[in-house]
Amino acid sequence: MIDASQQLQHDHLQHQTRRHFLHQGSLGLAGMWLASQSGTVSAASLAKDPAQPFAPAPSHFAPKAKRVIYLHMAGGPSQLELFDHKPELTKYDGKDCPAEFLEGKQFAFIQGVPKMLASVFPFHQAGQSGQWISDRLPHFEKVIDEVCVIKSMWSDQFNHAPAQLLLHTGSQNPGSPSAGAWTTYGLGSENQNLPGFIALTSGGKNPDAGKSVWGSGFLPSVYQGVQCRSEGDPVLFLGNPEGVSRNLRRRSLDALSELNQRIATEVGDPETLTRIAQYEMAFRMQMHASEAFDISKEPKHVHEAYATQPGRESFANNCLLARRLAERGVRFIQLFDWGWDSHGTGPNTDLRDGFVKKCQEIDQPIAALLTDLKQRGLLDDTLVIWSGEFGRTPMRENRGGKTMRNVGRDHHPAAYSLWMAGGGVKPGFSYGETDPLGYEAAIDPVSAHDLHATLMQLLGFDHKRFTYPFQGLEQRLTNVTKSSRILHEVIA
Amino acid sequence: MIRKFLALILALPVASTLAREEPRIDFNEQIRPLLTKNCTTCHGGVKKAGDVSFLYREDVLGKGESGRPVVVPGKPGESELLRRIRTDDPDDRMPPPDHHPEPLPPGDVALFEKWIAQGAEWGDHWAYVKPTEPARPEVKDPAWPRTSFDHFILARLEAEELKPAPPAPPADWLRRVSLDLTGLPPTLEERDAFETAAAQDLEQAKAEAVDRLLASPTYGEHLAAMWLDLARYSDTFGLEKDPHRDIWPYRDWVIRAFNEDLPFDLFTIKQLAGDLIEDPAPDDLIATAFHRNTQNNTEGGTDDEEWRMAAVMDRVSTTWTAWNATTFACVQCHSHPYEPIPHEDYYRFLTLFDQSEDIDQNNDWPKTKVAHDPARQGEAVALEKEIATTRKALNNRAREVAGQIKDWSLFKSTSAAAQPDTGKVAQNDQGDFLSSGTNPTRAVFTLTGEASPFAALRFQILPLSDDPKQWEEQGAVASQIEAHLVKSDGSRTVISFSEVVADFLAGPYDPNDSLKKGASGFGEFPTMKQPRTAWLVPTEPVVPAEGDQLELTIRHAAVCNGNNQNCVLRRFSVELSNDPSLVSFLNRPERAAAWQTLDELRKRYQAIPGMTIPVMRERSEAARRPTRLFIRGNRSTLDELVQPGLPTLFGEKAKAADRLDMARWLVGPDNPLAARVLANRLWASMFGIGLVETLEDFGSSGTLPSHPELLDHLALRLRDHHQWHLKPFLREIALSATYGQDNKTDSSLLQRDPRNRLLARGPRQRLTAEMVRDQALVVSGLLTEQVGGKPVYPPQPDGIWRSVYNGQTWTTSTGPDRYRRAIYTYRKRTSGYPAFLTFDAPTGDVCTARRIATNTPLQALVTLNDPAHLEFAQALARRMAAHAPDLPPRLAHGWEIVTLEVPDPETLDTLTRLYQDALAEIKANPGDTAKLADSPEQAALVLVANTILNSDAALNR
Repeated sequence: MIDASQQLQHDHLQHQTRRHFLHQGSLGLAGMWLASQSGTVSAASLAKDPAQPFAPAPSHFAPKAKRVIYLHMAGGPSQLELFDHKPELTKYDGKDCPAEFLEGKQFAFIQGVPKMLASVFPFHQAGQSGQWISDRLPHFEKVIDEVCVIKSMWSDQFNHAPAQLLLHTGSQNPGSPSAGAWTTYGLGSENQNLPGFIALTSGGKNPDAGKSVWGSGFLPSVYQGVQCRSEGDPVLFLGNPEGVSRNLRRRSLDALSELNQRIATEVGDPETLTRIAQYEMAFRMQMHASEAFDISKEPKHVHEAYATQPGRESFANNCLLARRLAERGVRFIQLFDWGWDSHGTGPNTDLRDGFVKKCQEIDQPIAALLTDLKQRGLLDDTLVIWSGEFGRTPMRENRGGKTMRNVGRDHHPAAYSLWMAGGGVKPGFSYGETDPLGYEAAIDPVSAHDLHATLMQLLGFDHKRFTYPFQGLEQRLTNVTKSSRILHEVIA
Repeated sequence: MIRKFLALILALPVASTLAREEPRIDFNEQIRPLLTKNCTTCHGGVKKAGDVSFLYREDVLGKGESGRPVVVPGKPGESELLRRIRTDDPDDRMPPPDHHPEPLPPGDVALFEKWIAQGAEWGDHWAYVKPTEPARPEVKDPAWPRTSFDHFILARLEAEELKPAPPAPPADWLRRVSLDLTGLPPTLEERDAFETAAAQDLEQAKAEAVDRLLASPTYGEHLAAMWLDLARYSDTFGLEKDPHRDIWPYRDWVIRAFNEDLPFDLFTIKQLAGDLIEDPAPDDLIATAFHRNTQNNTEGGTDDEEWRMAAVMDRVSTTWTAWNATTFACVQCHSHPYEPIPHEDYYRFLTLFDQSEDIDQNNDWPKTKVAHDPARQGEAVALEKEIATTRKALNNRAREVAGQIKDWSLFKSTSAAAQPDTGKVAQNDQGDFLSSGTNPTRAVFTLTGEASPFAALRFQILPLSDDPKQWEEQGAVASQIEAHLVKSDGSRTVISFSEVVADFLAGPYDPNDSLKKGASGFGEFPTMKQPRTAWLVPTEPVVPAEGDQLELTIRHAAVCNGNNQNCVLRRFSVELSNDPSLVSFLNRPERAAAWQTLDELRKRYQAIPGMTIPVMRERSEAARRPTRLFIRGNRSTLDELVQPGLPTLFGEKAKAADRLDMARWLVGPDNPLAARVLANRLWASMFGIGLVETLEDFGSSGTLPSHPELLDHLALRLRDHHQWHLKPFLREIALSATYGQDNKTDSSLLQRDPRNRLLARGPRQRLTAEMVRDQALVVSGLLTEQVGGKPVYPPQPDGIWRSVYNGQTWTTSTGPDRYRRAIYTYRKRTSGYPAFLTFDAPTGDVCTARRIATNTPLQALVTLNDPAHLEFAQALARRMAAHAPDLPPRLAHGWEIVTLEVPDPETLDTLTRLYQDALAEIKANPGDTAKLADSPEQAALVLVANTILNSDAALNR
């Protein structure tokens, strides 16, 4: 066994050894090559201990949000059937789409001149704030006063995979870190016994863009989201193999620690001590993660509120898990719910059928999540975001140039809706507008980069100074090649 | 100049070097870093604020907007630069106070002043200057060096007053070198043989061991792992559906190439331009799959041209990263912010990759055949080439005849109709037909007009705009063209055509297919980049009767953009000529015989059993895509045409007309980078860190070399002395005294050189993702030794693969395939093998030049709990049990198999206590421990084996 002073010395060396990993820079983490070139690296102080990449780290200024729950509806839910009330569109229902909407435009599936399609569902004003909403989210509308709806989101990608990548990483091509990776890279995690960035999926599929949407891109791989599952081990390989009890595991880790401490003393490699610590963390994670993911112990009223059924993979279960993880200090919780691609090619993608069911699947759980977070005092510093990767056309899809039996809309990057709640965002507020037919974000358009700049602001970072050096550039979530603006108007 | 480098990056408190008197300011060492840090962000390649840039000497010596010279050599007082960094006036001070509250430190200002006073000598960045052979440094201890490399390392250590470590114990060295050269640990038998030989003659034994390792086929499998990271190799397309891609014969080619020690220049040329080599070897086309490892987007509605261009750009940046460690992707949108690479240079280089046939098709076209029987590969390649040449010659000969016909007259329609009637087609005043409305994929256009005699029909498909900068539309294909003569009584006679001759052949479709049903036919597919012309030739001159109408029917069926959007003609023209020369040319008997020959060649090609893989294939000169500069990197805003070429940075001799020229330049004497980059990469693979740490970036934003002279020596040794052969180069590293040092260290050395940049001790590296699996396979005795073949599916938890619209499932391999080396595990881009990703293997999305080894709790969960790893522990426990009836030798044997070391008493004691505690626990609480092994004793042994495999000794080398 090594004694405490040896341990301290090793920690210090560890610190130096891994200096390459996280560096002094604009945040205290980047810009290492500049420092190295001017010979000042020895003077650089580290903002956080690189041996503990998830240690909570200071931000640029006091954050309003300490954690994020991002509810992504993969496929692109129709804003025209949920939040974007367009009475004018009703007048054009069934008429040819005006030529100016089609000129120079490309759609995924629409061909030629499609017909306009009024909202399939009626809208009304809800809550004290009087925000417009369709009749598809009866539970959610009860918490509408907590929510800030942005109706003027836009994207420049009209296919799922690139649009999802753009929304979550700031670039439509794979290879850039996701917002969650940036966040845990910057802020670390408040719970060292759970991953700092957790992704949960429902709807039976991974996101169209695959696991890159929670990837670490060019950041060190420790910052990638850890996909946790509702079936089997919540974290891959979390459970001991069959036949290895927790007692047996403890004994084997004790032996391992002895062996490794002997090696550390003999070889003197500080990484060995880190490894000992990581195995102990893994052991704690086995317990903490299992406990965090076990929703069966929640009281009946909670299950009723969320409409959860333990043991199944569902969006409802994931909402409850999101609250449990937020409570335990997980920094970024990303939910993906697949099945919102309402093209109208069959019943499942019919706005009057599959879409209605998807709304039912999310309505009560989201309302319960917001209510629950609020009751527990977590909503103040937990930012909840809901959106798809793009919106849907005010035109009815006419795949192959023909009128289809089912009713659907095509992908539409020019306008979509997103809402945020908690975490320093103005409650009961509506921001931005589309044009009268809901075709384009007309007033206060918001890009993914604007959203990212705002997200960073809420988390306490100046998005322009929160950087990481890669390919010769000080890279940032808000994509150095694109313009971005902080939506001060939506910040409370 | 390079000699002057101090390894400032080491940041070691070595007073001797830092306090040295500087007689002359060195631009690269002292001034350029200041410019990069403080100035070039605003005064560089992207922004040229005030018309001042610090990238080129000419600019620095010129005048800014203020009219004052920026730098006057020898005259600090007249240099605006100095005035600006010195002034207190906030309006004038540089860097500007609003972004940089603190002015430049006086020391930096003094450096600038001294530099200007000394004549403002400019120097090119070190990596852009060709390497020159440095003098071999003198060392005080001439007995230590074993190779030329050691002189450089030792001289530096002596300068720093450090002593090299003693040699590693033979077993340690053998384990290290075996893992570093083959990715596999040695067996106990190999260790014993080595120790016996080493007792006789250590150096001789080492040389023999290295020769044995380099001759082993496992060497190629190991080196391939490094190269496949750069190649962003994957068994799937990537993106949404992420479908399967058959491309593993390329992976096997890489393994073969390393095992045969194919010199790196040929290795380069074959991969980048194997299709352009005059006389390709049978394998050369397979090698070109290197650049077909780009992602392919099959999502419905994705713009094929956008994703084709994404692949082309990926090839550009991958080439620059893999061979030259240059951040070339920066130049897509603007001139390079730090490097002297102007914006045009990016597109001149991109032009070289813009001429390949691939177009983001769901079938991955174009592909080549990989014969099941390798002996027939040469025949397949030769036939493929002959078929293409023959087909092109057939078209070109007829095209020449067609070009002679001058008397064309416009076909004027009296009616033009589209089916279904949601669409329209109409002839305008100029005679062009234009379509509008909703024309679905299978739209049919019928054009009718007065018939006149004709013997050739000229058919042109035109872009909507006449401005070439706007030419980039969705494709347009006439899938089937029919012609009838219609009499006034309605009776119809079909006009039979013999051939469709095209301006050029390109793309997946044969123009002749316009004469039959199906999607294929004449047109521009999937993107309309330029006007296209075809000549339809009737079998006999057409002589209509008085009053006959000519009815042309154009059927569409082609789809582009993820097999999703139509390729209906939007603008086209029809002209007729009565010149019979084409009819007579095509009706000559030689023509029929030539078609017959082509048909036979195709049959012979098809008869060779094999699979197909995507490869690079060049468009012909006539079919060149016009490459234009993208304004701000945006594909939809095109600027002037650019000619192919290499960056001007590399001087006059850097010229290239095609990929083959480019590949030859990369590995030729005029490229200062590739040999350094490769030597550094190989060095890093053995030592864990490169002489240049940023393997991916040798530019001004990368790190400086720790031993610049050694780097040049290594580069020239590899390129010139070993003629690009990797094996003798790696052999020298492996046999160097530097590599052979013991890797134990103590606190004082750690303080002094925490990251072992000076190499006063041997390297200690964590095993790579591949090694973690492969070592476990070896020590458990489960490894299936088979080189190459289809990817395999070792155990992975259920529910990992869940791509949308993709029915492919992970069916766990059984039998020998379950225990293949990591490199053969199926690689799915959107869902990598979890155990590998956790150990820092890349996803294969983009070129990865360096893996940063992490140390995380999730790694512990993999090696402790992954069912695949439990299986290894169970097998290792069986080997332990089979070794001896008694416990102590069993435990010792397990430790020895994994670490190659006989356990000391403390280690054995730890293992014994673990075994006994575990056995007691298992007996007291059997639970489902029977699932670990048949008996409690064996179950306890499994736990011990699992623990040994998780020890730090096992996970490092």
